[in-house]
Amino acid sequence: MQRPLSRREMLGICQGGFGALAFTGLFGALPFGCKRPKNLAASNELYLGPHYLPKAKNVIFLYMDGGVSQVDSFDPKPRLTAENGEDPRKKFKVDATQFDNVGKILKSPWEFKQYGECGMPVSELFPHIATCADDIALIRSLTSKFPEHTNANYFLHTGSGIQGRPSMGSWMTYGLGSENKNIPGYVVLDGGLIPPGGLDNFKNGFLPASYQASILKAGVEPVANITPREGIPKLQEEKLRFIEEMDQSLMGKMGEVDAVESAISNYELAYKMQSSIPELTEFSEETKATKKLYGFDSDDPHTRGYAAQCLLARRLVERGVRFIELTCPKVEADRWDQHNNLKDGHERNAHAVDQPIAGLLKDLKSRGMLEETLVVWTGEFGRTPFAQGADGRDHNPSACSMWMAGAGIKGGTIFGRTDDYGYRVIENEVTIHDLHATIMHLLGINHELLTFRFGGRDIRLTDVHGHIVKDILA
Amino acid sequence: MYHCQRYFCISIAFALLFLSSCIEDKNFAEPLPENVNFNFHVRPILVQNCYLCHGPDPSGRKADLRLDTFEGATAVLKEGGHAIVPGKPSKSQLVYRIFHEEEDQVMPPPESNYKLTAREKALLEKWIDQGAEWKEHWAFIPPNTSIPTSNNNAIDSLLDVRLLQKQLIKSPEADKYSLIRRVSYVLTGLPPSPSDIEYFIVDDSPRAYEKMVDAYLNSPAFGERWARHWMDLVRYAETKGHEFDYSIVGIWRYRDYLIRAFNEDVPYNQLVKEHLAGDLLDSVRFDSETKIAESPIGTAFFAMAEGTHSPVDIKKDEADRIDNMIDVTSKTFQGLTVSCARCHDHKFDPILTADYYSMYGLMESTRFTPIAAEQSIETEKSVKEIEDVKAYMLKLISDKWDEKEIVQNDLIPKEEVAADTTYQIIGDFRNADLDGWKSNGTAFGRRTTLGDPIIEKSSGKLLRLDEGRASSKLFGKRIFGSLQSQNFILDKDFIGIRARGEKSTIRLVIDNFQLIQNPIYGELEIPVNNGQWQNHVIDVTPWKGHKAYIEILPGGYQSHKYQLPEDAYVEAQYAITYNSPWPTEVKAQNESAPKQDWARLKRSASQIQEINNSLQTGKLPTSFPELKSTLDSTEQLAKKLTNSSFYYGITDGFGIDSPIFNRGNHQELSEEKVSRSFLSALPQGGVPFETNGSGRMEFANALLASENPLTSRVMVNRIWHHLFGRGIVETVDNFGLQGKLPSHPKLLDYLAIKFQKEDWSIKNLVRSIVMTDAFKRSTLRTEELIEADPTTIYLASFPVRRLEAEAIRDGILVASESLNDSLYGPPVATYLTHFMQGRGRPAVSGPLDGNGRRSIYLEVRRNFLEPMMTTFDRPIPFSTFGKRDVTNVPAQSLIIMNDPFVARQAEIMAKKVLDDRELSFDERISWIYIRTFSRPPTVEELSKAKEFIAMLQKMETSSDTETDKELELWKQYCHSIFNLKEFIYLI
Repeated sequence: MQRPLSRREMLGICQGGFGALAFTGLFGALPFGCKRPKNLAASNELYLGPHYLPKAKNVIFLYMDGGVSQVDSFDPKPRLTAENGEDPRKKFKVDATQFDNVGKILKSPWEFKQYGECGMPVSELFPHIATCADDIALIRSLTSKFPEHTNANYFLHTGSGIQGRPSMGSWMTYGLGSENKNIPGYVVLDGGLIPPGGLDNFKNGFLPASYQASILKAGVEPVANITPREGIPKLQEEKLRFIEEMDQSLMGKMGEVDAVESAISNYELAYKMQSSIPELTEFSEETKATKKLYGFDSDDPHTRGYAAQCLLARRLVERGVRFIELTCPKVEADRWDQHNNLKDGHERNAHAVDQPIAGLLKDLKSRGMLEETLVVWTGEFGRTPFAQGADGRDHNPSACSMWMAGAGIKGGTIFGRTDDYGYRVIENEVTIHDLHATIMHLLGINHELLTFRFGGRDIRLTDVHGHIVKDILA
Repeated sequence: MYHCQRYFCISIAFALLFLSSCIEDKNFAEPLPENVNFNFHVRPILVQNCYLCHGPDPSGRKADLRLDTFEGATAVLKEGGHAIVPGKPSKSQLVYRIFHEEEDQVMPPPESNYKLTAREKALLEKWIDQGAEWKEHWAFIPPNTSIPTSNNNAIDSLLDVRLLQKQLIKSPEADKYSLIRRVSYVLTGLPPSPSDIEYFIVDDSPRAYEKMVDAYLNSPAFGERWARHWMDLVRYAETKGHEFDYSIVGIWRYRDYLIRAFNEDVPYNQLVKEHLAGDLLDSVRFDSETKIAESPIGTAFFAMAEGTHSPVDIKKDEADRIDNMIDVTSKTFQGLTVSCARCHDHKFDPILTADYYSMYGLMESTRFTPIAAEQSIETEKSVKEIEDVKAYMLKLISDKWDEKEIVQNDLIPKEEVAADTTYQIIGDFRNADLDGWKSNGTAFGRRTTLGDPIIEKSSGKLLRLDEGRASSKLFGKRIFGSLQSQNFILDKDFIGIRARGEKSTIRLVIDNFQLIQNPIYGELEIPVNNGQWQNHVIDVTPWKGHKAYIEILPGGYQSHKYQLPEDAYVEAQYAITYNSPWPTEVKAQNESAPKQDWARLKRSASQIQEINNSLQTGKLPTSFPELKSTLDSTEQLAKKLTNSSFYYGITDGFGIDSPIFNRGNHQELSEEKVSRSFLSALPQGGVPFETNGSGRMEFANALLASENPLTSRVMVNRIWHHLFGRGIVETVDNFGLQGKLPSHPKLLDYLAIKFQKEDWSIKNLVRSIVMTDAFKRSTLRTEELIEADPTTIYLASFPVRRLEAEAIRDGILVASESLNDSLYGPPVATYLTHFMQGRGRPAVSGPLDGNGRRSIYLEVRRNFLEPMMTTFDRPIPFSTFGKRDVTNVPAQSLIIMNDPFVARQAEIMAKKVLDDRELSFDERISWIYIRTFSRPPTVEELSKAKEFIAMLQKMETSSDTETDKELELWKQYCHSIFNLKEFIYLI
């Protein structure tokens, strides 16, 4: 009879996690009969890898904070042009909105054109992303449950409109572990705007703190406390050597105490992170052509800023970071939240992100990385087809356009349909839970099985909901 | 590699299955118990593997079979036979199905992902064979013990029983240095001071340990430590989170309340009562020093929920807030997860959806409000005195008036007001009473101004008797209070309030929603800023059908912080609801009143009117010079009532029973409402509360009933958890069926009974546990012990544990002698790093070192949580966390390695150690060791320190002078010491 694994052995295996498999060449080819042990997650033991063959290794989540207008980006509605200026209340039932300042039907200020072999219509806002149409699966039928930013942000990020639940990045790293020991598995690249609801959008909630996002910020110190204070590198090394020696002699006296041993080995990790993190943001090894592709030479400083974030995202993927979220740059208008001055605000935001995102997709593709990387582009909700005041659009949780590209995604797909005004979804609704289920599916996780017991329940990211959107899968 | 092993395991398990079904023959790693106990052996298997489909929740039940009751399990099955036939495993379908080899027959079904082990199957079979005895869930059976609570040795003997069973050899007592460090940290969250250590080490009296324990129990730091434990339960936070992270005003007073309560050893049952209904107690507890009312502060934990402005669906918002209150309340005090029953009956525990909505009514009938922090023993006394003086004044006047002159007829008849259907009165304050409205705080008193004599101060001449209105300056200005209507359903277009005042506010609170502002809700709050009577109107057409109440209060909210300016006041005549236009006349609802009673508070508006008429025509004498002095005395008394600081808390509203929300959907309500009552599965449960208020008091009483099996157990287990680092029930917040079983059930029962018998004294219990041999044992373990008891669950040795976030930070401050140990007060503003961004970010960062205050005094802003605290596992404040995670992540190492706070404290410490030029090298190292590890260094450690510092000395540094260099060296040494594991672990 085999003895059960000791905690120490478990620890060793878990630290490898997904990565251990990948390094041994087993990635994507699980041995026959290998099933997830019963109730492992439920009992809050560490989880040991995917449930089934994963398509994606990593996720880059491009968060369009504030809510991009679907009828101005990916969901053209000629009827808005035809009925521009008419009273929407005479056309359809108007839901309560957050600002309750319902204006007239507002046509899109931008023209749409068809792109790619698939002929996907994209507005003038995104000329660069449009060139990637054949790699994109467009969903025009995403809905949210909340018309307010904060709740909608929490909902999108954690599957619950209430503060304090684990973020999807936390769930993914909890489920799959990290591939790189020297970089955290869940990284948020702070482009300048932390979404309403604050850092709780990226927190671990009731999951252990190890699964919270590390915030990476452009600047001298990209991650909190990553820079040694010693000034002379040798000095820190000597100190760490002394610390190690003293700790080991303590262990000698104490005998086996797993927790203390792990804390000791943690220092090695932390030490390595000090060099691996700054190395990430060192772009000198990137070619000029690559940088140009992302928009490093743009006149718009926000485009350049976001370009750097997108390039950084690729470099994180190369280093095996599991889940990367990019927050929006702080352009001169507000986030995508154009309650007024839609034209100016959306144009500034779009200009900042369009080329870098297209650059990222193309760069990933040319390096063969897009096959293993899932890129997700979405806001927390859509906007109203009628004006707020004269020239803005209010929040609209009933319809939102989003897209995914890369690993396991059927490019050139358009899924879901809204009504003639782009106000409500009328076909193939995709809920936030469905979105989560689909992302998890692509990572090889069965969203119904990845649970964590808290407050007497085995809780899932998808609560008791969620269907995989199979039609967009390759 | 691992997966192959797993596969191998599974194959073996399968192979075993084919062997035989004769269970007794099997050799399990742990042999089957002689007598299978339902609660300890069987139920966990059923809960884990069967209850999702065969449990208490009828909505998901399969095959109409329930295995959570004896009746259900032994009933006739649909397909015939019985799941369980007691004593007859061969006739029990359950046994047949769990041993079945066909995929479509075996239970649990393979697709459920549940699978019974061979041992689990054997247990079930043996249990049925032994008669399938059923017992109530252990936690619902009242605790019972035969050991007298006075037995000092009881805890150790109960632990010894298990140690003996397991044949575990106990570790010896820890050395004295370890002991004092352990006791000091565990009781106070701080390391022992060098003088305390010295005192304890040289004290070789038999009572040395006991004296040391008592000193820490009596230290004010004890309260700080245990208050912080409690704050984890109630999701303590000082802001509301969400988009703008608004402040929860003055909530730190609750933190101070806890510190005082733990230090004064307020009995736990009192603490519970104050948390649930401190605002409703007949006898309020006052602070012995400040005389401030303590009891109502306890309820502030209800107000600590998160909150969002401008939710479009306001009813859902209320439901979510209340859900959080139910969740926190039920976990904290009962170790039950009642919020699992929001959408359906609890899947595992005997908690019904009806229980959830009966608690929902409790919370829905509770309102949020600012509370004056100055409420004290004096407040009520002064109010009473003013009222007495006023009564005396009236008596003086009425005595002087000729009764015959007044009493023309005995009774002024109730005036018939013609029915005007265009409006409805919500409140009419032109008579003597407040028309059923609730007067919170002091300002509005208990009645209107009707009939109050208006006297010319210089002469004492009575000008007239006042007309009726609700007034916030009934006693004077700068006094807090609010006037709240009953709940009503918005069914007309407008709410109208006739009012006047300065810098004051009328609010319409819909569905208990408090963060009133634009967009959407801005118009629900009206400023009153005009001394002339005005009609204030709120258009409520968007909210028809919602429940609401009106709140009138002096002062108002600035960015959701309540403020009371000096000259603020507000008065109101009446409030109505109507469809436009404003009615031409809102007639007073005149009440009949015996005319001669006017001076005895039973007055009516028309009666006072008639007296005033008589006054004007000179029929009554008006000169009362003796009243001049009484006016002065009321003014003096009123000064004692003034308020200037507030905390956010709760007050009782008017009782509301809630319907059940079908599947948790607030838009699908059941026809029938659920009475407010205590949890039906517990003693005194399910009986509707007889009260017009919320019922929180009744709820508290039921929860504290001596036959309640949970209240005491849950708390003693929390205390045990904090002392040993692990509860007797490991899932400290869940005593339900999914919780872990107690490791020492008899010990838990003994402690629960002892706790109750000893007047719920927390300090007594802590003391009894800390005095045990078990608590004093060394952490050192032999190889055999590690093998036999890897998790130290049997306490043959003391469990090694990492210090909590606060203890690490506070320990650093103590070591550098920078700790500012002052107690209480407003929080120290959060130190903001450039990673902490987002809306609601404070304009100014707090100090890096938090002014040297203990971590409990650092501000807890939901959207800007202290990174050091959260990284070292302080829970995110959204629900009850009785048990913190202990994670091990590089970010923790990075903080101690590179955080400027730690580096700065190392430098301060180095300066201090160098300050005394007399100290030798060895003495310096000892100085540091005593402050960080609470012990002197060993010879080996001294020599290592010497080597290390000598090595550093050889390194080039940027320092110019010798002194700088010396400081730098010692700073690096101190900093390294903070990084040693011995510093952050209790060893």
